[in-house]
Amino acid sequence: MTNAIKLAIFLVLAYGAVPLALGGNPYVIGLIVASLTIGGISVAWALLGNLGGMVSFGHAAFFGVGAYVSALLTMRAGWPVFPAMLAAGVGAAIASVATMPALRLRGPYFALAILAYAEIFRILATELKSVTGGAAGLLSIPRLPMVLGIDFGSKLGGYFVILTIVLLAMTGYQLIRRSPYGLALKAMHDSEDATKVVGVNSTMLKAWMLMVSAFITGVVGAFNAHYINFLEPDYAFAGLWTTLAIVSAIFGGYRTVTGPLLGAVVVYLVDQLLFKAILPQGHQIVLGVLLGAMILFSPGGLMPLLVAKFTRKEASHAA
Amino acid sequence: MIDLIAQSLFSGLLSGAYYALIALGLALVFGTMRVINLAHGELVLLGAYVSYTAEERLGLDPLASLPLALMVVIAANMVVYYLISLIKKDRELNSLILTFGIGVILTNAMLMIWSADIHSATTPWYHDAVILFDTLFAMQAELVFAGAGVVLVGAVWWWLEKTWYGRALRAVASNRDAAKLMGVDPRLTEILSFAVAGLLATVSGLALYTAKVIQPSLGHNLTVKAFIITVLAGIGSVPGVLLGAVLLGVVESLTVTIASSALQELAGMVLFLVVLLLMPSGLFGRAKRRG
Amino acid sequence: MLLELDGITVAFGGLVAVSNVSFTMAEGDVLGLVGPNGAGKTTLFNAVSGLVRPTQGRARLLGRDLIAMPIHARARAGIGRAFQVPQPLHELTVRENLIVASRFATGRIDNERIDEILDLLKLGHKAEAEASTALALTEQKALEVAKALATNPKLLMLDEVLAGLETAGKRAFMHTLDAVRARYGLALLIIEHDIETITRLCQRVIVLNFGKLIAEGTPEHVFNDSEVIRSYTGGEAA
Repeated sequence: MTNAIKLAIFLVLAYGAVPLALGGNPYVIGLIVASLTIGGISVAWALLGNLGGMVSFGHAAFFGVGAYVSALLTMRAGWPVFPAMLAAGVGAAIASVATMPALRLRGPYFALAILAYAEIFRILATELKSVTGGAAGLLSIPRLPMVLGIDFGSKLGGYFVILTIVLLAMTGYQLIRRSPYGLALKAMHDSEDATKVVGVNSTMLKAWMLMVSAFITGVVGAFNAHYINFLEPDYAFAGLWTTLAIVSAIFGGYRTVTGPLLGAVVVYLVDQLLFKAILPQGHQIVLGVLLGAMILFSPGGLMPLLVAKFTRKEASHAA
Repeated sequence: MIDLIAQSLFSGLLSGAYYALIALGLALVFGTMRVINLAHGELVLLGAYVSYTAEERLGLDPLASLPLALMVVIAANMVVYYLISLIKKDRELNSLILTFGIGVILTNAMLMIWSADIHSATTPWYHDAVILFDTLFAMQAELVFAGAGVVLVGAVWWWLEKTWYGRALRAVASNRDAAKLMGVDPRLTEILSFAVAGLLATVSGLALYTAKVIQPSLGHNLTVKAFIITVLAGIGSVPGVLLGAVLLGVVESLTVTIASSALQELAGMVLFLVVLLLMPSGLFGRAKRRG
Repeated sequence: MLLELDGITVAFGGLVAVSNVSFTMAEGDVLGLVGPNGAGKTTLFNAVSGLVRPTQGRARLLGRDLIAMPIHARARAGIGRAFQVPQPLHELTVRENLIVASRFATGRIDNERIDEILDLLKLGHKAEAEASTALALTEQKALEVAKALATNPKLLMLDEVLAGLETAGKRAFMHTLDAVRARYGLALLIIEHDIETITRLCQRVIVLNFGKLIAEGTPEHVFNDSEVIRSYTGGEAA
């Protein structure tokens, strides 16, 4: 099967079969929307990790900034929702500029410096009461609008919006990966000096990846704000957004473009439908187990592991 | 106002000594293995919960539960070490994600066992007030554990600088292969550093339980504080950990007194970023962390 | 002047690897850099291409101060560098190696030039092979030169690109370098141990010993200098 056919089948399923089959079940559609939201952060996280070689523990920072920018633009400045969501991405990208001094830091220091930024943003959102409403949060954030007779404010409408956002993010990711920028970033992992010597400004490239990753995360955060119509700092900047995104990306394979999304859907749905039912309190223990197990037994993610198993079997059959 | 500031400085010093206990365990493991154990705060909390259970169920004084808490926490830290040692590739970053996962496991396990309720020691002695120089107020528990903090930091410093084990540990930290050639078993010294980190975490846990309050979700915050202090200290400086911890304690305490308690965490984070970005080797350290 | 080095000194702690070295190169010059192991030749290359920062001294390319520039900016300014131990860009094909070099050093992907370089260096048949795993030693060395050429350099610095090749390979590679020079007219700065190779390729030679420049001149002149011979043989002969 060629990739084009696979893609066509996927699109028909995602835009046709899934809504037809599950559209009548708001609970399940709600879960899928939440899993796609996490998928969006996860794709952005993996883009930074795979292309930029940087592990972030603070993507909640960009998620929260995006959510607040879009909510405030629509509520205080009267912007329409969709342009405000784009502006939220820009806002998150600008916020990422504030984190750029951290790019000079090595792996673990960068990861935790970004976490510090997330904390700072959360505290600022709590303290700047006149702008953000403080700890009480923002109520009745405008819902997604009705366009051409389609009500994007419904659960199913939200599904189409977040699905499109995530697929566009993945397309962008793939385009970057294929471009000379992607090639240079790939080469930087193992041959940093050699890459610089042929003219690559590695710090600048990493900075761009951080901005792209923040942009995507910000748009996803904005979507979520308009989807649930409510924000408070502890929710918008919750560490859980980062945790779920990391688990999804590691589980699905953060070196692939599709892995993080698949990981998010599987991890979130299994967590909510299965483990939450078995363990009402502390079901996230499963996320920790999953994360640890993946790092120890298949750091490349589950999908590459399955693919490798499958091809090995095929090879041994052929032999 | 002067009284308030004096009290604030004093409280900051006391918290600093307690923070040093938490941070030193993290810094020790980081110094030996270049691994940041993101589950360290959860281990502190685990020690606190063992002490809580011993007090609640067996009527044991928190200090008397120390041996039991030590066994549990050190055993848990051995498991952490074992899991980290299974990582073959890219240990610096993969161990970060692994221990992050272990932290999530521990937090949720504690939530399942002990629920989300807030607890603190019920033995009144610990909460009794002491007045020093007519003006400075402290709880007995704070004084005890601040003292323990200073003594243990001193002991660890002496151990690293003056004993053969300590030298072996430092040799492994600076060059694993060379240490092997000198007949030092790196695994043994790494296990040792995890055991000592477990000990420090346990004592911090008792301090947390007797002087403050405990709740399953606190662990992450403790880890972050410990990491902030490690950064302030710079790698490889034990006295730096104490000074960094006191600096953080005092800055937090002054922020609360002068501004508001809501900004306490912000002060720590800003201090962390400023030092991280502007001072490549920390306030007192030797090694660099840029690359 | 194309390249002007003025009093370049590189010290690592107490160890002075390069000490007060000055020389100039005009456009199109071919200059040999010789000296025993540890004389500071590669360190001097690193100082020019930006991998180490000189403790003292100035370096200019066409009048522009190099020392203030980061590594990538020097590549864009016209410094091309081939490493002694080949450093292909990992996980990329041979062609992708050149694409990255062309795109980032010159601002656009010059496919014509890339094809021409692949041809000149006889890498055409390996263009789609993975650079870090699928090349023989000669091809790896050729890729080092090809990558540097793709950056459109004014000065090409070759760090022992002929070392490790057998005689026939060496001769073939020298012909390739002649062709490269004939085609692009660029200046070459060459580190090489083999006196015969240097004599064949270079108009001018400078000799480093213990980080100091101890002789400069035509190959015939320099290789008859007794101090040079002593430095080469460890002071036993002559």
